[in-house]
Amino acid sequence: MKSWLGLFLVLALIFAVIGCGADEPVVDENGVPDEENGEPVDEVAEVRVGMVTDAGTIDDKSFNQGTWEGIQLAARDFDLETRYLQPGGTTEADYITEIGNLVDAEFLLIVCPGFKFETAIYDVQTRYPHAKFVLIDGYPHAGDWEPVINDNVVSIFFTEHESGFLAGLATALQLGEGEVGFIGGMEIPPVQKFSWGFQQGVAYANENYGTSVAMQAENFIYEGSFDNVAAGQQLAAAMYDKGVDAIFAAAGGVGIGAINEAKARAAAGEEVWIVGVDVDQYDEGIYEGNKSIILTSAMKYIDVAAYDMIEAELNGVFPGGQILMFDAANYGIGIPQENPNLDAEVESIVQEAFEAMQAGTLQVAEEQGDLIR
Amino acid sequence: MVDLIYLLFPYAIAFTIPLLITSLGGLFSERSGVINIGLEGLMLMGMFVGALVISRIEGFTPGTAIWIGLLAAMFFGAIFALLHAFACVTLNANQVISGIAINMIAAAVTVYLARFITGSGNVQIIRGLSRQTIPLLSEIPIIGRLFFTQTYATTWLVLAILAVATFLLYKTRFGLRLRACGEHPHAADSAGVNVYLMRYLAVTISGACAGLGGATFIVTLSGEFNGTAAGLGFLALAALIFGQWKPWGILGATFFFGFASTIANVSQAIPVLAQIPGIYLKTFPYVVTLVALVLSSKSSQAPRAIGEPYDKGKR
Repeated sequence: MKSWLGLFLVLALIFAVIGCGADEPVVDENGVPDEENGEPVDEVAEVRVGMVTDAGTIDDKSFNQGTWEGIQLAARDFDLETRYLQPGGTTEADYITEIGNLVDAEFLLIVCPGFKFETAIYDVQTRYPHAKFVLIDGYPHAGDWEPVINDNVVSIFFTEHESGFLAGLATALQLGEGEVGFIGGMEIPPVQKFSWGFQQGVAYANENYGTSVAMQAENFIYEGSFDNVAAGQQLAAAMYDKGVDAIFAAAGGVGIGAINEAKARAAAGEEVWIVGVDVDQYDEGIYEGNKSIILTSAMKYIDVAAYDMIEAELNGVFPGGQILMFDAANYGIGIPQENPNLDAEVESIVQEAFEAMQAGTLQVAEEQGDLIR
Repeated sequence: MVDLIYLLFPYAIAFTIPLLITSLGGLFSERSGVINIGLEGLMLMGMFVGALVISRIEGFTPGTAIWIGLLAAMFFGAIFALLHAFACVTLNANQVISGIAINMIAAAVTVYLARFITGSGNVQIIRGLSRQTIPLLSEIPIIGRLFFTQTYATTWLVLAILAVATFLLYKTRFGLRLRACGEHPHAADSAGVNVYLMRYLAVTISGACAGLGGATFIVTLSGEFNGTAAGLGFLALAALIFGQWKPWGILGATFFFGFASTIANVSQAIPVLAQIPGIYLKTFPYVVTLVALVLSSKSSQAPRAIGEPYDKGKR
């Protein structure tokens, strides 16, 4: 019995090793071997784009999926080869392993979505100087928050507060009067900025457009994770029971639970809403025909960011060493183009606010100040 | 305070039910002498099958799709549990290791199939089960508000199954034989009971219950299969031990877990509870379980032959 087990383990190990080796082409597509420093011999040699996923799967309907869709779009437009790898865990070592695998397989432009990649990118930017990295929602550092961005890395941030502001404004205008709440995932800057922006948007509508939408501190909370679906459902249920009309759920899987609760209530005839996050979540909230409980979504155009970086690399203008900010001014954030649950009037006011943001006449604070957390 | 209990009670019950039915499944298996650590995996299988079936047919038969999905989840849970039964009963394998294997296989197979069939690792259903307030009964003071408002149909189904299972285990020959297989299989065998058959049956029932538990979780709470049962199966296993392998014991234990988890989940949105640090509320049920296990370890009611493969020759 034991010897069988031993044999099995040895075989498994052998296969694992062979498996790793098999997908490492030594020579690139055109049969041109790379030079030692990795610079392509041929200027028009195609770029191969890789991606390493953050926590969750490639089809998480959120961060990973958004990034991957951008890459896919670029692949179609520019005829590129792409590949994504999902790490076995979410530690720095897991990320570095997968990034290494992509580099070995000659995927030399690698997109990494999520602030958790910060320290991993810090490590690989010097280890693989011939590869280029796009880091979304973070900047490379050694764990001491001291930015060290080499020329082969571009760091991308979004103005979540602006996005949250527009969603808050739209929500308040559409409700007219009522109460709103917020469910966040982890209490980290990208999520907090959504909350703070949302509150400013609601307050802005109350001041300038005569709406009376209430916000109570007890209804602005962070669940503490991105995957506790049941907690999201129960939190949303408790909030709706307390009289909240619309909940801004910036919480990944926790938000899915909240959406589910809202769907059940809407199907039973109650009027409750969810404000989606990151991507247009309208389809997630459909409970009947094409009626959805998603009022609007506070979007970050992650796909556009990924696409733009690939395009820049192809054109030889990769913005290495920089921190880029995707905001209203460069159409990096916003609410969806189509919002079936918003009145045309509301949409036009939000559009005005968006343009004011672009012009710089409307400022949204990205600090907490005296806002609810 | 009273209002708070009124507010939380229906949600606590909703959270309890998937745990209860899964735990009841574990009860069948373990009472027949087969440890079932694979509840988590069986539940996950139920979640996957339930979500997949419902999402596929709800366009055609909106009303009955949920029930067909629940049935399918029970069926496939039972089939999947046969694997555990085969390993533990026929092959005399280590029951703990087989259970772990079940958990690992389920985690891999469900995600693979979800991708293969739907193209995505997440399977969503459009409509879950809606909550209903029962007329007349909900008018009863106190009890009416606690038990008969905002209830799911599955809650009553599961409670009915619990009642039937209790009757089956304690008042019928089948139940006596099943329990005998868990206490002293050799004695049962000498009395003419087919131990292998009883254990196969028990493990299969356990799979059906856990499958139903998983699918119930989908149609009441989450609305989406996302490749994990989030430890609910293990919580059900803990409730089984905490409830001392007795149907009414596990009802109490699962409700305790359900209520405590609900409080932990929503505490932040309730000012009275928000003052208590979340970590205390979240760990509370587990700490209590540990304490209870320590206290009851001397007089554990675990079936005596649990974990031992039945070996006819040892008689």
